[in-house]
Amino acid sequence: MPGYSEFYFNVDHGYLEGLVRGFKAGILTSADYVNLAQCETLEDLKLHLQTTDYGNFLANETGPLTISTIDDKLKAKLLTEFHYFRNHAFEPLATFLNFITYSYMIDNVILLITGTLRQRPIAELVPKCHPLGSFEQMEAVSIASNPTELFNAILVDTPLAAFFQDCLSENDLDEMNIEIMRNKLYKSYLEAFYKFCEKQGGTTAEIMRPILEFEADRRAFIITINSFGTELSKDDREKLYPTCGKLYPEGLHLLANADDYEQVKCVADYYAEYKAVFEGVGSGTGEKTLEDAFFEHEVKLNVLAFNNQFHFGVFYAYVKLKEQECRNIVWIAECISQRHRTKINNYIPIF
Amino acid sequence: MGSLFRSEEVCLAQLFLQSASAYSCVSELGERGLLEFRDLNPKVSAFQRRFVGEVRRCEEMEKTFTFLQQELRGAGRVLEPCPENPRAPLAREALRVQEQSEQLAQELREVSRNRASLRGRLRELRQYLHVLREGQRFTSLPAPLGSPPRPRALSEREPVLDPSLHQHLDRKINFVAGVIHPWRVNAFERLLWRACRGYLVASFVEMPEPMEDPATGESITWVIFLISYWGEQIGQKIRKISDCFHCHMYPYPESEASRADTMSGLHNQIQDLSVVLEETEQYLAQVLDKVVLALPTWRVQVQKMKAIYLILNQCSFDVTEKCLIAEVWCPVRDLTQVQDALRQGSYKSGSSVECFVQRIPTSESPPTLIRTNKFTAGFQSIVDAYGVASYQEVNPAPYAIITFPFIFAIMFGDVGHGLLMFLFALWMVLYENSPSLQQASNEIWLTFFEGRYLILLMGAFSIYTGFIYNECFSKATVIFPSAWSVATMANHSSWSSAYLATHPSLTLDPNVTGVFQGPYPFGIDPIWSLATNHLNFLNSFKMKMSVVLGIVHMGFGVLLGVFNHVHFQQRHRLVLELLPEMVFLLALFGYLVFLIFYKWVKFSAADSLVAPSILIHFIDMFLFTSNAGNLPLYRGQVPVQTVLVVLALASVPVLLLGTPLYLCCRQRAPRTGRPAPVTAEEQEPLLEGQEAGSSVNATKEDVESGGHGPDAKHSDFAEIFMHQAIHTIEYCLGCVSNTASYLRLWALSLAHAQLSEVLWTMVMRNGFVRLNYVGGVVLVPVFAAFAVLTVAILLVMEGLSAFLHALRLHWVEFQNKFYVGAGYKLCPFAFAPNAWE
Repeated sequence: MPGYSEFYFNVDHGYLEGLVRGFKAGILTSADYVNLAQCETLEDLKLHLQTTDYGNFLANETGPLTISTIDDKLKAKLLTEFHYFRNHAFEPLATFLNFITYSYMIDNVILLITGTLRQRPIAELVPKCHPLGSFEQMEAVSIASNPTELFNAILVDTPLAAFFQDCLSENDLDEMNIEIMRNKLYKSYLEAFYKFCEKQGGTTAEIMRPILEFEADRRAFIITINSFGTELSKDDREKLYPTCGKLYPEGLHLLANADDYEQVKCVADYYAEYKAVFEGVGSGTGEKTLEDAFFEHEVKLNVLAFNNQFHFGVFYAYVKLKEQECRNIVWIAECISQRHRTKINNYIPIF
Repeated sequence: MGSLFRSEEVCLAQLFLQSASAYSCVSELGERGLLEFRDLNPKVSAFQRRFVGEVRRCEEMEKTFTFLQQELRGAGRVLEPCPENPRAPLAREALRVQEQSEQLAQELREVSRNRASLRGRLRELRQYLHVLREGQRFTSLPAPLGSPPRPRALSEREPVLDPSLHQHLDRKINFVAGVIHPWRVNAFERLLWRACRGYLVASFVEMPEPMEDPATGESITWVIFLISYWGEQIGQKIRKISDCFHCHMYPYPESEASRADTMSGLHNQIQDLSVVLEETEQYLAQVLDKVVLALPTWRVQVQKMKAIYLILNQCSFDVTEKCLIAEVWCPVRDLTQVQDALRQGSYKSGSSVECFVQRIPTSESPPTLIRTNKFTAGFQSIVDAYGVASYQEVNPAPYAIITFPFIFAIMFGDVGHGLLMFLFALWMVLYENSPSLQQASNEIWLTFFEGRYLILLMGAFSIYTGFIYNECFSKATVIFPSAWSVATMANHSSWSSAYLATHPSLTLDPNVTGVFQGPYPFGIDPIWSLATNHLNFLNSFKMKMSVVLGIVHMGFGVLLGVFNHVHFQQRHRLVLELLPEMVFLLALFGYLVFLIFYKWVKFSAADSLVAPSILIHFIDMFLFTSNAGNLPLYRGQVPVQTVLVVLALASVPVLLLGTPLYLCCRQRAPRTGRPAPVTAEEQEPLLEGQEAGSSVNATKEDVESGGHGPDAKHSDFAEIFMHQAIHTIEYCLGCVSNTASYLRLWALSLAHAQLSEVLWTMVMRNGFVRLNYVGGVVLVPVFAAFAVLTVAILLVMEGLSAFLHALRLHWVEFQNKFYVGAGYKLCPFAFAPNAWE
């Protein structure tokens, strides 16, 4: 059946696709960002956001405006929209949307475990979790003391269970192990998501392939760079790389053997797009960090998803773009409130 | 009514508002709704404007109001619309409103917080009581006989719970008791089992009465759980898990006696709390009463205030910062009223210096203002739906008042249907002031209601055309005796009874004296409804009628162009456009109309066999030939026709080249004669105005581009030519295709007549089969079906289709002859939404 999906796509998913495209029109444009960057106070920011699609999402806030309230409200709006999609979705779109939430669930689990390790009360940690990735058993994560217990007691009922096969170990949870666990989870997740999209075939696979490949490769690069100077062995490191990217298999092998940043850059040079990303990075104050460069590339890929019709990629792209928008607004708000105007333009415009 | 023919004169004016009295002046203007304000600071973003602080204050107040309103809604109170029309508050008053509303909100917040905490406390006490009561069933000594059936327990290990057993084992069993949200029960149970590997026994039971969920405010049936476990470590784990699942936990006393004590203590506490809660509720009701009384007025006031500041944000300050300058579009007729409003505004604010209004010149096209009343509004909106008239252009709406219902009625001609439609519209018109009709929220209904006068006229005209077609629910009525005499014919050809019985259809020959006694006084002779060639007769009649009416309608459209050309001082277009257009239309299609009437008058029944065909003649006219088989209509027909065709063709190049060449010549002439003065003159007032009082909005670039006007015009001569070429082609082809388009009148009226006839013969006639009492009973459902189908198909469906075609004939065939429709509406700043009506 794949290949003809455009004929009956609209029967099940037409409404939601129309909706997501409508929502996409509400994403802030560069003109909006220019205006936002001119704001003097957070109140100005709020006033300006009122003229956009956000409307009066901050209107009922009593008390002084803080960045965290803005952030919460931005996320809450995205959450409302996402839940609407999810509640109206048919299979296989429903599974696709679930896949989107899994990455946030992984982040939340890791956040909670790390927090508990540092003896933070759970009530303080929960508000920091991304609302898209919250699930019923989430808060119970803190009672687990090793990954096996975590899996057997808590996560076995959640959709994350499938990704947990590789991380079962009796090691105690310490910072290093948690980080390894996160990356292993992510690896399984990305590979499963990739497989799922391939199974959908048609335009969905076509659109999601580059996005997920890039996501996998980005993780590989970041794992490599972050592992310098830690006790992680090269073999262990290679096990953490997601294998659904463009780098697989030669690039990953090269990355596994890299010893410093320069060598990573050399690996990237073999791949045209990553070369461009690494070339855009600088260390000066006005220049981009590697993270920003990656984000920028991600935005570019996600925007491309809207050029095709009859596929699920738009939902993924919309959530990611909206997340980037939240980051941008929060960044601008931070710069405003800390009077740090020189860096205010370091946001990543979307349209 | 005067302004219905073309839009009113509107001028650009500047308001000089003293900063002290600007607020009250704008308020006064808003109450009257006279002016459209222009934004003088389009480049300034919303938060950089001057009165942003005040706007923010209004928003602050609106936030308070929203809170108050939510509280009211939560308490089930309904807010009534504001009874009178309060004016925008003055600064002091606004401050008072703000203070009072905030005070009320504060009070309300406190009371509801109190109430919420009291309620929460009460809920907890009740839950505790239930936990103890239900827990009893698990932990108390089992009654020796008839022990109550055990509610849902985890497993068959339950006997372990038996306290007698636990005493025997002499190991300490601890309890954790509490309540949990019903949705979470399953996950909780599973997690407990997994995490503690079964070293516990958990029992769940539903609480007997539903209680409120503090998070959502919904009423749900909580689930009570009682977990018994051994060992302190597991206890900690269980507590942790319970925390994660947002359970409310309560201490569970070990001994029976202490449990009973706690329960009686709880009973007392609950009673005390209920009393306090009741008092709090009463106080809350008092506060809410105050809110209900004050809130509607406040809301309207603050809305007005915010609107005023938003308008003031669009004004610019003069150099001395002492007065605000606003630019407005103002109907010239209302200038005195504006001045009056300004005077009142300054008087009210106690300012000594008056605000004033001053006209300024502008090159921009002003907005269109056509005042309507409840009768004309429907017709105007039909025209506006096509395009708002350009400034001061001829407005087709007043003509549509007659032509639209008439053209509709041609397609909808039936006395009965028209009467039903007329009565329906009449009912709406008579009860138009009743609030239930006006405030209906059904959009489809409102569409009908707003077009009630249109429907009224459509119904009335349909009755008229119905009489012409002589149709009432598809049946002919005999108002006057028929002009045909069957008896004469029968006598003349001596038809016997036997002959009549064998021949179902017979011919009435009008050439026999006495059979046809002259035309029927009004409309179509009812005898035609019996004739087998009824349709042939009607088709011929309706087709010709459509063409005649269509050409008259289009000709009228072309003529209306005269008023445009005269008003806009473009007299050359009278000769170079209107004249050739008229010649083209009349020489070809006007002649066709003449032929139709000529043939009707000239040929009678006697010489009908030799009557020539108009169609053939008309085709021959274009081919410059004549057909021997087709007799000429009159002597000298061929030369006349040749002259007409040549005239029509000759008018095409005039139409095509006339205007462009004229404009070209006129531009060249002054250029050679006196090159500079014209442009200088045109530019001068603009530049002068810049200093004295011209549009602040017009920046230097605007002025410069205005000056460049004549040069620019010259360069786009090609554009004018293209435009004219398109217009010419469209007009000439349009005359042919539009004439054909009017044949839809014939088609639709035919369809309507046939459909209603089908409905009669297929449905209603079945009710007349038996003319006895049984038939009378059968008639009831048959008539019901007939009535429903008549309304649904013939009135609603056919009516909508006829409406649509009438709309198209007006928009396309009629309006494209003279109407540009490139204007934009004047939307005055008014507090009342419908200030012009």
